[in-house]
Amino acid sequence: MSLGPSSSAIHVQGTSTTDSAHNLPRTPTKITIHPVALFSILDHYLRRGESQDRVIGTLLGTRFENEVDVRSSFAVLHSETTEQVAVDMDYHRTMYELHHKVNPKEVIVGWYSTGSNLNTYSALIQNFYSQETAPNQAIHVAVNTGVEEGQEAGVRAFISSPVGVFPKPENCVFVPVPVELRFHDGERSGLDLLTSAAGSSTSTASQPIADVEILERSILTVSEMLDRVLSYVHEVLVGKKKGDPAIGRYLMDTLGASTDDLEKGGFNASLQDTLMISYLANLVRSQAEVSSRLALTTSS
Amino acid sequence: MAATSMAAALAASLPAPSAAPAVAAPTYEAIPASMSKVIDIEADIPLTCVQLDGMVVTKIVKHAREAPSTTAHGLLLGLDLDGTLEISNSFPLPHHSGDEADKNTKSIARHQASMLRSLKEVQADDSVVGFYQATTLGAFFNQALVDTQAIHQEKLRHGGIVLVHDLSQTARGNASFRAYRLTAAFLDAYKKSNFSTTRRIASSLINHRLTFSSILEEVPLKIRTNPLLSAFLGTLTESKRPTLSPDSTATTATVSALGPSFSVLDLGTAGVTRNLEQIVEAVDNYRTEEGNFSYLCRQIARERGKAENYIAKRKEENQGRVAQGLAPLPEEDVTRLFKIPPEPSRLESLLLLGQIDAYGKSLARTASTGLVKMYATKASSVV
Repeated sequence: MSLGPSSSAIHVQGTSTTDSAHNLPRTPTKITIHPVALFSILDHYLRRGESQDRVIGTLLGTRFENEVDVRSSFAVLHSETTEQVAVDMDYHRTMYELHHKVNPKEVIVGWYSTGSNLNTYSALIQNFYSQETAPNQAIHVAVNTGVEEGQEAGVRAFISSPVGVFPKPENCVFVPVPVELRFHDGERSGLDLLTSAAGSSTSTASQPIADVEILERSILTVSEMLDRVLSYVHEVLVGKKKGDPAIGRYLMDTLGASTDDLEKGGFNASLQDTLMISYLANLVRSQAEVSSRLALTTSS
Repeated sequence: MAATSMAAALAASLPAPSAAPAVAAPTYEAIPASMSKVIDIEADIPLTCVQLDGMVVTKIVKHAREAPSTTAHGLLLGLDLDGTLEISNSFPLPHHSGDEADKNTKSIARHQASMLRSLKEVQADDSVVGFYQATTLGAFFNQALVDTQAIHQEKLRHGGIVLVHDLSQTARGNASFRAYRLTAAFLDAYKKSNFSTTRRIASSLINHRLTFSSILEEVPLKIRTNPLLSAFLGTLTESKRPTLSPDSTATTATVSALGPSFSVLDLGTAGVTRNLEQIVEAVDNYRTEEGNFSYLCRQIARERGKAENYIAKRKEENQGRVAQGLAPLPEEDVTRLFKIPPEPSRLESLLLLGQIDAYGKSLARTASTGLVKMYATKASSVV
């Protein structure tokens, strides 16, 4: 699912089979962004200087065939005036080396900026990053923080190609590339935590949350979904709505799962197992407690 | 050995506890009256709460998952304000492979120093307030953690905190972060560095009433998302509200922004086996440690018995000599004749017990949620 506002651009897929035959670096056709990179950009934007309109930084990530996976990002110092743009390259190199030491798999894939205007300076910076990522193409991610009025928050990604009879670094065409948010399943709960924090009125969430509480939330969501499906099915049966065969098939796949195992005594067996484990866990804990108390007793 | 040296390196590279960075701005403005109560230059206001920024949450979760070993660790940066420690940034430390420990500590220290310098340049917070540590199944007690935190607690303003992130619990759908610090009693005992229980040497373990549960005290932790992040997350979740149309199928849910997640509802019990194995392992380690301990105790008792015998014999002899009118033999220093080994430290076994307890706790938790899940499935099959 795309992160940014929908665009009418066509994403032309390069003929990948011939590309690989020539063993040339491929043009990225899909960009995925890890939440860490995104949140770091937002944080950087919050900490910008008063005179700064936008902030820029380096994107680190991995490449796989036509996909670029942006895994993290760091801020880079830069200054823009009406006459010139300057990027602190020493800083960029130092930071890259520091990041590279911790996570050697991540390489420079491109750069980010906040705001969604692409101008001559963007082209110049893009030119600089293209040298850093050569022979691969550098990508540019524009994060719209949604702070300015009338603009929706969103992320857009571009690759560039030179334009003109005599290509100059300050001229280039930014070609939009689809962008997605991607994270590992195991990291999902961290994001859930943040959304629950963001949703509350004080934008804080206290920790730790009991497992059971989260379980309760999930079960409630499931039962809500069942209710929704049930009402839909009722409406179709009554004839208020026209049934959609696709939904019908999905429902059959989902709800048709067999629970025979449970009814055939499987339930009791695993109930006993679980109770046993619970008993064992408590036994171990009390043993540990007793043992640590015994260590405190004096022999006298 | 690598553990302690790492701690030493961390300590070496830490900046001296600076005056409140919020106040020590280069312009030296007067503190506004409204803030004078909440800013404490001398670090007088005790920490009551830790506030963790949303970005740090994702950073730690990512680092912990990707790190080659289960012991991912890094530093926390931030500020304290009116008793709340606000952690606003973090960065991972390189994983050290164990060999060439000396070289590693130096490189870690260098890494840390240059990272802090670089972060300062882009106006990020650059004062170290603690460190984070990833763990599995809740067992985070280990020597390295205690050593590092003991150093931090001396060097850092407010003593710093340890943030523990439980990897296995996060994978199960409950992202878990906890903040800890060493208790005063433990720190006192640690400084005297004796964890013995016998009467001769000051029995610090007994005096301080130390059990594994009183090594660390938990500091309340809150997660905070800054308004910009809240707004952004809001737009992410808003536009992706799941609808009952065939377009938004379940297949896109895994990569899409934020659909509902049901990893909590997984009935599988794969984690339990691992958990049980780890309990057994920890208990084994504890047995070995206890074995070593009692062996050392026996040795001490034996040596001491020998020394006492020697003294008694010498006294008897002297009495005999006095009775005969001879000059008594000098009472030599027995400690030089008999080497009484030092009291063994009980810290290791204390920590192991803490580990066993943590494994037990996480097992109990799995079992209890397991029960709920089972009855939930049962209910659905009956109806």
